Amino acid sequence: MQLPFVTLFLFGMAGFAASPALDYGRDVRPILAENCFHCHGQDASKRLADLRLDTFAGATADRKGHAALAPGKPDASALYQRITSDEKARRMPPVSSNRTLTGEQVAILKRWIAEGGTYSKHWAFTPPVRPDTPITANKSWPKQPLDAFVLHRLEAEGPRPSTEAAPGAWLRRVSLDLTGLPPTPEEIEAFVKSVRSTGEAAYKSAVARLLDSPRFGERMAMDWLDVARYADTHGFNNDSARSMWRWRDWVIQSFNANLPYDKFITEQLAGDLLPNATLDQRIATGFGRNHVINSEGGIIEEEYRVEYVSDRVRTLGMAWLGITLECARCHDHKYDPISQRDHYRFYAFFNNVSELGEDGRVANAAPMIAAPTAEQQRRMKELEAAISTAGHRDVKWVDKATGGKAHDSAVLGIHCDTAEEGVKLSEGIVGAGCQLDGASAKPMTKSMPVSKRDGMTFSIWVKPAQEDKDVPLLSAMDYARNPASVTYGAGIELRLVGGELEFRFAQRFPAYSMRVRSEGAKVEAGKWRQLTLVYSGIQDKSSMRAEAAWVRTFVDGQEIETRVLNDGLGVPDEKSKPTPTKFRIGWDTGGAHFTGQFDEIGTWTRALTPDEISGEFESAAKFYLRPDPRITKLRGDLLALKRSFPTVMVMDELATPRQTHILMRGGYNAPGEKVEPGVPEDLLGAWPAGAPKNRLGLAQWLTKPDHPLTSRVVVNRFWQQLFGQGLVKTSENFGIQGESPSHPELLDYLARDFVDSGWDVKRLVSQIVLSATYRQSSATTPELTARDPENRLLARGPRFRLPAEVLRDQALQLAGLLKHEIGGPSVHPYQPAELYKGIVVAADYPGTNWIESKGDDLYRRSLYTFWKRTAPHPTMTVFDAPDREFCIVRRSSTNTPLQALTLLNDPIFVEASRKLAERAMLQGGRSAEARIEYAFRLATGRGADAQEMKILTETLRKMLTAYAADAAGANALLKVGASASNSAIPAHELAAYTAVTSMILNLDEVITKG
Amino acid sequence: MNCNNYSRFTSRRELLMRTGFGLGAAALQALGAERAFPNFTPRAKRVIFLFQAGGPSHLDLLDYKPEMTNRFDQDIPPSIFGTQRITGMVAHQDRFPIVPTMYGFKQQGQCGRWLSDLLPHTGKVADELCVVRSMNTEAINHDPAITFLQTGSQLPGRPSMGSWIDYGLGSANENLPAFVVLNSLPGNGMADQGLLSRLWGAGFLPSRYQGVQFRSGGDPVLHLSNPPGVTREMRRTQLDGLAALNEKAHQREGDPEIETRIAQYEMAFRMQASVPELVDTSKEPEHVHALYGPDSRKPGSFAANCLLARRLAERDVRFIQLYHRGWDHHGGLTDKIPSMARDVDQPSAGLIADLKQRGMLKDTLVIWGGEFGRTPYGQGPVKPNSYGRDHHGRVFSLWMAGGGVKPGHAHGNSDEFGFNVAEDGVHVHDLQATVLHLLGVDHQKLTYRFQGRQFRLTDVHGRVVRELLS
Repeated sequence: MQLPFVTLFLFGMAGFAASPALDYGRDVRPILAENCFHCHGQDASKRLADLRLDTFAGATADRKGHAALAPGKPDASALYQRITSDEKARRMPPVSSNRTLTGEQVAILKRWIAEGGTYSKHWAFTPPVRPDTPITANKSWPKQPLDAFVLHRLEAEGPRPSTEAAPGAWLRRVSLDLTGLPPTPEEIEAFVKSVRSTGEAAYKSAVARLLDSPRFGERMAMDWLDVARYADTHGFNNDSARSMWRWRDWVIQSFNANLPYDKFITEQLAGDLLPNATLDQRIATGFGRNHVINSEGGIIEEEYRVEYVSDRVRTLGMAWLGITLECARCHDHKYDPISQRDHYRFYAFFNNVSELGEDGRVANAAPMIAAPTAEQQRRMKELEAAISTAGHRDVKWVDKATGGKAHDSAVLGIHCDTAEEGVKLSEGIVGAGCQLDGASAKPMTKSMPVSKRDGMTFSIWVKPAQEDKDVPLLSAMDYARNPASVTYGAGIELRLVGGELEFRFAQRFPAYSMRVRSEGAKVEAGKWRQLTLVYSGIQDKSSMRAEAAWVRTFVDGQEIETRVLNDGLGVPDEKSKPTPTKFRIGWDTGGAHFTGQFDEIGTWTRALTPDEISGEFESAAKFYLRPDPRITKLRGDLLALKRSFPTVMVMDELATPRQTHILMRGGYNAPGEKVEPGVPEDLLGAWPAGAPKNRLGLAQWLTKPDHPLTSRVVVNRFWQQLFGQGLVKTSENFGIQGESPSHPELLDYLARDFVDSGWDVKRLVSQIVLSATYRQSSATTPELTARDPENRLLARGPRFRLPAEVLRDQALQLAGLLKHEIGGPSVHPYQPAELYKGIVVAADYPGTNWIESKGDDLYRRSLYTFWKRTAPHPTMTVFDAPDREFCIVRRSSTNTPLQALTLLNDPIFVEASRKLAERAMLQGGRSAEARIEYAFRLATGRGADAQEMKILTETLRKMLTAYAADAAGANALLKVGASASNSAIPAHELAAYTAVTSMILNLDEVITKG
Repeated sequence: MNCNNYSRFTSRRELLMRTGFGLGAAALQALGAERAFPNFTPRAKRVIFLFQAGGPSHLDLLDYKPEMTNRFDQDIPPSIFGTQRITGMVAHQDRFPIVPTMYGFKQQGQCGRWLSDLLPHTGKVADELCVVRSMNTEAINHDPAITFLQTGSQLPGRPSMGSWIDYGLGSANENLPAFVVLNSLPGNGMADQGLLSRLWGAGFLPSRYQGVQFRSGGDPVLHLSNPPGVTREMRRTQLDGLAALNEKAHQREGDPEIETRIAQYEMAFRMQASVPELVDTSKEPEHVHALYGPDSRKPGSFAANCLLARRLAERDVRFIQLYHRGWDHHGGLTDKIPSMARDVDQPSAGLIADLKQRGMLKDTLVIWGGEFGRTPYGQGPVKPNSYGRDHHGRVFSLWMAGGGVKPGHAHGNSDEFGFNVAEDGVHVHDLQATVLHLLGVDHQKLTYRFQGRQFRLTDVHGRVVRELLS
C-alpha cells in the first residue's frame, strides 16, 4: 500500500525517512517558490545575481565552474551550500527577506538534489486525465464513482468514514445546499417514508425535485454574484445606483435551465459576439461590466478605464483560470509562469468596450441596452402583432393641410420667411425656408428658458443637402474648450447623426449627459422631414431625476423609437432657475455645421402631446399619410412600453479596436510595447484552430475540453459550495503558490466527467450530493477532529454556519413570511435608520437614500437586497458577505458576538420569531409541548428530545409569567416588524412564545448546515 | 459537562482568527504561532486617528509660508510646478495663481511652532505635537487617496490599518472590539465627500478584523439593544436555555465551533452592558467637558467623539478611528474652513490635554490629518480673502502626539510654496511603517498570505521615520 507523501505534510513530518521519492511539484517547488523565486525566479527585472532557480537549465547553468544545482551532489551545489552556510552574509534566504527555511525544508532540498534535482510541470498546468477508479477494500460504501477516490485515501490513512447521516438530516443539508431553504416537516416525513419503501430511489427523486425547483437557480446565483462582483451601485466615492438586475435574472434563469457551463462562460464573456446574438446573450455580457465605475469629478478618465479593463482580467483569472493574473500587471508574475506581456494580451481582449473612464454618476454607464423582461417581451410581441394585423389598410392620404395648429404658442417660432438670424432664404415647407451652409456663425438672438426639471419640445423641418455623419441642428453646447474644462460639453442640443435625431443635454458631455437617439427616422438628403423631440422633465418625483428613457422622438408627426446612449443627467439643484439659452442654428462651437435647408423651427417649454405634435406637422405639410387612429394608439402603447424597459450595462466592441500596450508598472500613462490579444499557449494550451482573436475566441479557448484549468477550477468551486472548502482549498489560486488538491485524482475525475457530460451542472451537483461522502454524518470525535481539524480527508460530512443570505431566508421561510417571486429589481428590506448617515456622499444621487420597501418586498430572498458597495446591508456583512468591490471566490466564515446580536435583535429576526410563534400556536396544537415541538421540528427537521423540551418549556413558563405581568412589554415586542400580529392570540402568550422561537432560531443547529 | 476545548486542535490559530474579540497576540504567542507581536517593546499601546476627510489645507492650517505673502496672483514658477499630475477639475485653468493664506500664523508654545490663527486651542498644546510638514501621497482624488492612507493601496481590497493592527495585536479588552470607528459630520452640515466602509474593512483578512462602527443615533453598535419588551433578565433566561441547548449539540456533534458560539453569545451579553456604559459621557465632570468644548455634549459631533475616543482608549481599545468630513474646499475655502477648524480645534487639543492629565498620552499615539493637502494655487476665481484650492498630494501636513513621537517637534519641510517636499519627505507608507513601529510591530513582519503571496500594510515599501521618534 502506497502512502502518499502529501499526507505527511498535512500531519507532521514523522516518518519522513520512510517516505517514497520526492515529487518536485508537491514537495520541493513550494519551498523554492516561497523562499527563492522572488529574486531568482522568472521575473527578469527582479532577478538577482543573474540566477534563476525556477528552471532546471537555470539552476544547473555553469557559474564559473560550479552550479547552483549539481544533480545528485548536494555538497557540490551552491544552493545547498548557501542555505546551510554558517556565515550570516552568505546564508540564503537573506535576513532582509524575512524568510527562513526550517530544518525539514533544508532536508527536503538536500534530498531532492541527491535524488537528481529534477523539475516537473506544475500539476494544474497539465490537462486533467480521467483517472482509473481506485480499487478499495470496502466495496459496499461507495455510492458514486467519486466515493472510491475518497475511500481510497481513507483506507490508506486510517480513519473510517463516518456513519451515514439520518435521512432527515441529509434532506435538510441538501435542501439548504440546493435551494438555500430548509425542507418542510411534511417533505421530511414523506422522504423518510419513501426511503423506507424505495431506498436509494428516494434519494434520487429528492435530488431531482430540488434541482427542478426554481429556488435552485437562486441558490446557485448567490455564490456567482460574489464571483461576478454584482452590486446595485457603482462603488467609489459617489456610489450611486446602477441597474444590473436583468443580468442577475439571467444568472438565475441559466442555472434553472441548466445552461451547459461552457455556454455559461461563453455568453458572459462574449454573448454579444455570438452569431445572431439574442437579447439574453447580450444581457449575459453584463458580467464584464459588474466592476466598480468611478464618477468622482476630476479623475483622470484613462486611469480608471484602465482599471476597469484590468478588473476584467483579474476576474477572468480568479473565476475560471484560478490564476492570479493581476500579479502580472506591473511586472512578470513572481511565481507562476505568467509574464507581464501575457497579462496585457489577456487585457487586449477586454480593451475594446465603448466605455468611458468617468461615468455612472446617476444611472447606468455606457454602453447599455434596453433589456425587457419576459413579460415585457410578451407584451411587446402582442402589440407588434396587433399593429401588423391592423396594417396600412386604414391609412389615408391627405393632400392638404386640413387641420392642426401652427406653432403660435411656441417660445421660439422661426418661420424662415425673413432673413432671420442671418441665414439665407430659400424655398421652404411653408413659404420661404433657411439655407444653411455653415457660413453664418452667430447664435440666435432670442433665448429660451431651459430647465432640467420641466418638459420641453423642439420641432424642426429639415432637408439635408448631403448625408452627414454627425451635424448640429440646434446647438447650445460648449465644445470650444479643452475637454478637461469644467464647462466643456455643458448645454443642450439636437443633432442629426447618420440620419437619426440625437438629443444631448449635459453638464459635461459625454459622462454627465443625457444622450438619446431616434431609431428609424432615416432622414435622407434632398427630402423634407419634420423632426420633433420631447424632453419630459422629471416624471418621478421620488427620484427627482429626469430619465433618458422618457425622451420621445417624432418624424413627420409620428412617434418613433429611441435608443439611450447615456443616462447621466444629474438631479437639478433645488434652487436652480431655468437658464435662458440661445441656440445656434445648424452649427456648433466645435466647428461642425449642417448643410441644407431648415424651416418652421418651434420650441416649447413643456412636453407637447402626440396629438399636438401631429397637428404641428399637419399644419405645415403639403400632403402626408395619416394613419388610422387605432394604429396610432397601438404604436403609442408600444413606444410607452419600450420606454419602461429596464436597461443593463453590456460589453460591446469598438469598430476600430484600441491598440493595447504593455503598461509599464501598470500605469495608465506609461504605455510600452504594443501587444495583440492572445493567451499563454505554451503553458495552458493552444488557441483553438480558426477561433477569432476576440472575446469569443477567448471563451472557446477557455472551454476547450482539455483546458488544464477551467474545468478543475469550476468543479472545485461547486465542491467548495457543498463541502465548505474546495478539494483545492485555495479556490482562487491553482498556481504554484496555491495549495495542492487534497484528492488530485478525484479533482481530475470530476473535471473530466463534467466536461464529458457536456458541462452539465445539475448532473455534477447531483453526483456529489448523492455520494456516500456527502451523506456522512457531520458529527466528529475528539480523535478525528484532532487528526483532521479541517476535514481534508472527508471522513465526515460538511458542517458550516449558513451563509448570510440563507440565514435570513431560512428565518423568513420558517416564519411563513418569505415571498417567492423570482427575479426583478432589487428591494430595500429593513435596515437600521440612519445607517448611511455620516458615510454616504452628501449629493443626492440615486442610491444615497435607503427608502424602505413596502409589503411583500420586505420579505424577498436576500439575493434581491439592494447591494450598496460602500455600505452593504449590515445583516449581510456581519455574516461575512463581501462588499462586492471586486471578485471574491471564497468568503471567510467567522463566529462573532456581533452575529449573536444580529440574530437576537435585528428586527427581521425578531419579526420572524413572532411569526414562527404564531404558526406554532395556531398549527402546532393546544399544549405548550406540541407547539414547541412544531416550531422545533420546522427549524431543525427533527423532534426535540426530552431534555431539550424541558429546557424550552421551562423557558416558556418563565416568559409567560414575566409577560403576564408586563402587558406593555409584550405589546412592544409584538410591534416589531411591519407584519401584523394575530390579535386572536393573547399578547402575553404570543410574546412568551416569541421569546422561545427566537431561541430556536438562534440554535447552533439551526444556523448551521450539518 | 463535556470538557472539549480548543487546545487539542492543531489549527487553533486558524480557529482563533475566525472568532471574536479578545484573542490577540498573547493567545497567538501561547500557541507558538510563527508571528508573535509585538516584535519589540511598544512605545504606544493604542492609536487614536483623528482623520480629517476631504483634504484639509496645509497652507491655511499647519504649514506657514511667509514667502507666499507678497505673491498673490503670481504664477507658480514652472520649476516648482514640474510634471505635477493635476485633477480634471483644474486641468482647464489657463494659469495657476499663487494664493497666500489669508489667515494669520503665530508661533506657539515653548517650541515656537508656527500655527494658523484658525487653530488657537491646538496652539496651546503645541509643545506636545510633532508636526510633519513633508507628508506626501501618490493619489490626487479622494477615493484612491483616502483608501491609500488607510489601507496602503489606492485600490479597494486591502485590509485597513486598524484591521492589520487588530490582526497583529488583538484586543486588550475582552468585552470590546479592538478596532472602533466613530464618524462625525461637520457642524456646517456640508460633508461633500462620502466615506467608504472599506476604510475600516478587513480586506482579505478574516472579516472579524473589520472595524466596528459606534454610532451616535440609536444603538451605538448595531442591534446592541434587546428588542422592545425584552428585559435583560429575560435575555439572560433565553441565553441560559440557549447555552444548555447548544452544549447538548456540542456533545452530539463534537464541533468546537459550537463552543465558540456559546462564548460569543456571552460576549454579546456582556457588550450589552459595557458598551452603553462606555458611550454614556453624561457623568463626565464639567471640567472634562470644558476641555473638549460645548459640542462635546452633542452626540455625533467631533467633540463628542473625541471624548468617546478617550473613554475607548481608557478601556484599551487598540485602534480608535475618527472621521470628520467636510474639508474638500475647492471653492469658497475661506467661507468653510473657519467653521471646520472650529469643529475640530478645541476637541483635538482637549483630547491631548485630557490624555496628558491622565498620564495616558505617553502610550497613546494621536494622529491628526487627512488624505492630502491643497494646492498653493487657487481653483476658480481668486481674491486675497476669497479663494478655493484643489487637491494636492505632493506635500501636505499632519500632526502626531504622544505614544513615542517627539513632542514640540517639526519634521520635514515643504518648499517655499508648500508645493513639493523640500526635505525629509514622509510618504504614506513611511507613516504606516512608523505607526506600526510605535506599536512595537515590524511593518515588514506583519504579513498575511493571500492568493499565494505575503501581503503587508506597507506593500513593498515603507521606512520607519526614526527622526520623529522620541
